[in-house]
Amino acid sequence: MRSDTLAHRLREHFDWPLFIAAVLIAVLGVVNLYSATSVYQGARSELYISQVYWLVLGGILGGVVVVVDYRHLERLGYVLYGFGVTSLVLVFALARDVRGSARWIDLGAFKYQPSEFMKIFLVIALAKYLHDDPRSEGRTLRDLAIPAVLTAIPAALILRQPDLGTATLLSLVFVSICAMTRVKLKSILLLLAAVGPSLWFVWNYVLLQYQKDRVTIFLNPEADILRRGWHAHHARVAIGNGGLFGNGFMKGTQNQFLFMPDQYTDFPFAVYSEEWGFVGTSLLIGLYTFLVVWAVRIASQAKDRFGAVLGIGCGAIIFWHAAINMGMVSGVLPVVGVTLPLFSYGGSSVTTMLLAVALLMNVSMRRSAGVPTFDRP
Amino acid sequence: MSLVSQRSDVTEFRRRFKWLALAVVLAFLGIATRLFQLQVVESDENRATARENIVRRVTLATTRGIIRDRNGKVLAASRPSYNLYVVPEKLDMVGTWPKLASYLGLGVDERARIEAMLTQLRGDDTGAGHGRKSQQILLKEDISRDAVAALLTHEAELPKVEVVPVPVRYYPFEEVGAHVLGYMAEVDADKLGQLRSSGYVEGDRVGVTGIERAWESYLRGTRGWEKVLVDAKGRRRAGGEGIIEDPRRTDPIPGRDLRLTLDADLLKAMEKAMRGEIAGGIALVDVRTGRILGLYSKPGFDPNALSGGSGKQVIRDAFRRLYTDPLKPALDKTIAGAYPPGSTFKPFTALAALEKGLIDPRATQMCKGALSFGKRSFRCTHVHGAVDLHIGIAESCNVYFYRLAAEAGVGMDIIAEMGQRFGLGAKTGVGVSAEAAGRMPTRAWMTLRNKGQFRLGFGLNAAIGQGATTVTVLQLALAYAALANGGTLYQPQIVRAVETSAGTVVQEFAPRVRRQMDLRPENLAMVHKALVAGVNQVGGTAYRARLTGVEVAGKTGTAQVSHRLTRGVENDRVWYFNREHAWFSGFAPTKSPEVAIVVLVEHGGAGGKHAAPIAFEVVRAYQELTRERGAAGRAAAGRGQGRAAGADPRAGSPPAGAVRNPLDPPPQGAP
Repeated sequence: MRSDTLAHRLREHFDWPLFIAAVLIAVLGVVNLYSATSVYQGARSELYISQVYWLVLGGILGGVVVVVDYRHLERLGYVLYGFGVTSLVLVFALARDVRGSARWIDLGAFKYQPSEFMKIFLVIALAKYLHDDPRSEGRTLRDLAIPAVLTAIPAALILRQPDLGTATLLSLVFVSICAMTRVKLKSILLLLAAVGPSLWFVWNYVLLQYQKDRVTIFLNPEADILRRGWHAHHARVAIGNGGLFGNGFMKGTQNQFLFMPDQYTDFPFAVYSEEWGFVGTSLLIGLYTFLVVWAVRIASQAKDRFGAVLGIGCGAIIFWHAAINMGMVSGVLPVVGVTLPLFSYGGSSVTTMLLAVALLMNVSMRRSAGVPTFDRP
Repeated sequence: MSLVSQRSDVTEFRRRFKWLALAVVLAFLGIATRLFQLQVVESDENRATARENIVRRVTLATTRGIIRDRNGKVLAASRPSYNLYVVPEKLDMVGTWPKLASYLGLGVDERARIEAMLTQLRGDDTGAGHGRKSQQILLKEDISRDAVAALLTHEAELPKVEVVPVPVRYYPFEEVGAHVLGYMAEVDADKLGQLRSSGYVEGDRVGVTGIERAWESYLRGTRGWEKVLVDAKGRRRAGGEGIIEDPRRTDPIPGRDLRLTLDADLLKAMEKAMRGEIAGGIALVDVRTGRILGLYSKPGFDPNALSGGSGKQVIRDAFRRLYTDPLKPALDKTIAGAYPPGSTFKPFTALAALEKGLIDPRATQMCKGALSFGKRSFRCTHVHGAVDLHIGIAESCNVYFYRLAAEAGVGMDIIAEMGQRFGLGAKTGVGVSAEAAGRMPTRAWMTLRNKGQFRLGFGLNAAIGQGATTVTVLQLALAYAALANGGTLYQPQIVRAVETSAGTVVQEFAPRVRRQMDLRPENLAMVHKALVAGVNQVGGTAYRARLTGVEVAGKTGTAQVSHRLTRGVENDRVWYFNREHAWFSGFAPTKSPEVAIVVLVEHGGAGGKHAAPIAFEVVRAYQELTRERGAAGRAAAGRGQGRAAGADPRAGSPPAGAVRNPLDPPPQGAP
């Protein structure tokens, strides 16, 4: 009986638009990786194959997540959060330095990047908190204190790695979720007033020199093209070199002539833009727009508060990643290490994004309250 | 149940979803707008930048023209010099270095020195040295051909080792002809400022002296360029169609080759003839054309060492030697050095007297070994007894010429005028090196120099080519050529033709007459006869040095040197530098002369003893070479093959434009 119900649910409620949008992005990503890494010899030229493995593995993991009703996660919310924070603490003890920053825990077969998964865990924890704390009137700052602390703990740990991009991302996910809730006008004004002083504080006491450099380079892009401004400058040139229709697959000169370091992790969008032009970038942006708006739609149709926050949180993860990555590659934001969802190479990144899509699918499939649930007899 | 329904109350969120969706759409629209700006609006600029990133214009080297002698022998050419470059950081000191050292054939000391340098560079992590260890350094310059072959054979075992060929000027005859040919040096900053507009760049070599300098613009050639694709690491990439705009390439134009009038074999003969002396110069000129067959200056230098290829240290050492040697090897003694001609000037004094009709050539004067004039006694070499003009020249009697000046009214101005007509005391315009003018002092000039006092004694000295009179070896050779050919003074010529690298003659230079002197043939014949006697008649100053079978006419000279050396110099040096210059000037053969020769041996002593034998050796070499080539040319002509290799049929006969010698018998068929 149970399997019948599951099969039925999969058939009736499977969110095809969500699935197709995610698959299209992933396919474009793999094709693009093939071109991006074609400039290398040896193992790095075959990263697109690893990416396929990661997508399959993440897909299986996502499938498991889809099958289990998301409300189980509600119960496990703080446990998962605690696991995530513990992993982040472990990073300091176990992690290896990669380019001066310790982000990975080596698990032998693969490297696990706790900060990536922390994004999901944080969304779940925030969803649980808001689920348990319904309000009919506007929230005050005090009401937001606990979710803020929930965000601040992992964000601070990640900032210590140091990984400014991910820390910022956690904060933005928190802000996005807050944007859903009803907050008192006075509190909003107070928060806005605090923005200036806190930026000053962060700049002077939190940011490291190389992080500040990225901001100054962003403000004055042509000052140091040969060293610190290299990435930003050449990415911008690559995008522009694509023109309206692009140079064609495998024909982007900026990439083929090695002007694009990190073209498979943080800058694949530049390679893609150069090869496919404005037509191609419009398609990709369209796909991301659809995916995120669809996530908002899923959230809006969720049958409970937990599902709604989960949907918005996952949508926010995808949105901020996409917006920040494309923004930094095209030179409207400073360079921070934020990947393009399902497009950039990276096991932890791909898995996290697939988990976010799976959670969206999960919420989407269980939106109508009338459908009997298979796991709650 | 109510708790569950309240907990699932999503009304708090409901109104905000559409605003969130709107915010998302606007944000992505913003990014799309930015991409539109980059990819559509600013697309052209970005495409141009991307193209500039990968397209490099590389210059294509040109080859400098080859300088050949009149028979086609190469006097100056370019050869590849192989330089070895490594990046210290990337060199495997355990695996690669020992092999590299053995293929290079490094000695123990050199190996240790280079190894120490590499180790030091590799170990240097400080800011200053950090750049150098990751940059390519020149490990060894101008490695031998054997080493190049070994390195290329074992290329696979030697990663990160690069052999780069650079063209270096090569002078196969080394010291022979060095002064005329000149040498090359890297262009310095000052000069580069002037030359940049002509396409010179840092590190270019430019002719500094001699023909290399004077004909630089012909020899140099024009660089070409080619646009190529280069990646961000500076590596060349193939392809480029559709990326590189046309034109993609301009071929380099090789420099023009020069055909000189010089004869390499004669230069070698001059070098050989001068082996017994340490300093001096020789000029051999074709009397029918003014073409210079040989110019030789001693001591010389090896232009190969100065022109680079063997390293900066070798260049520095060579320059130090060049400019510290008291014998002045840098000075071209034939062109840039002015010397008192001594007795070799006497024929011109005689001609001046004859042309003015001031003397009877058959009248004799008594030579008692000296002439008292005023308070001074003017000395002769020995007691000549009764001397007429013929003997005065042939046996070089000073007293006879003193008397011309003192008693016959052959004044300084008359002498100077005749000298000037023969081109003495003025630049010849040979145009290859800085030229000395020399001096034909006039009465006015002497008065001025002597603070308004003119003494008749000055004229006596001028009559025998002493005092303030100075000439260059080349001037004297051209003047003797004019004596030999009946009074035609030629423009000296050293470059005969400009040719393309394929051998086509672009420009050929005909002989140019500088002055046709209107001298009476009987006067010229009289001097001519006296010059023949100077070598071939008993008592002639060069009689003892004559060689059988070598027919020469000429005049010796032993020119006193003004005492210039200061105290504090070693005695033997004082002795050497105060010794007379030995001269011989003449022409050969005596009937229908072909060449004029002048030999100067600096501080050599008596001209008849030290200069004349050298001149005869050179003339003998000339005669032998002419005979050989004539035979070879006839043989080739007999076989009907036209021009024989190594022999120019025009070399032996006077070319068009040459003036017929009035002293020669008229040609057959002439009226």
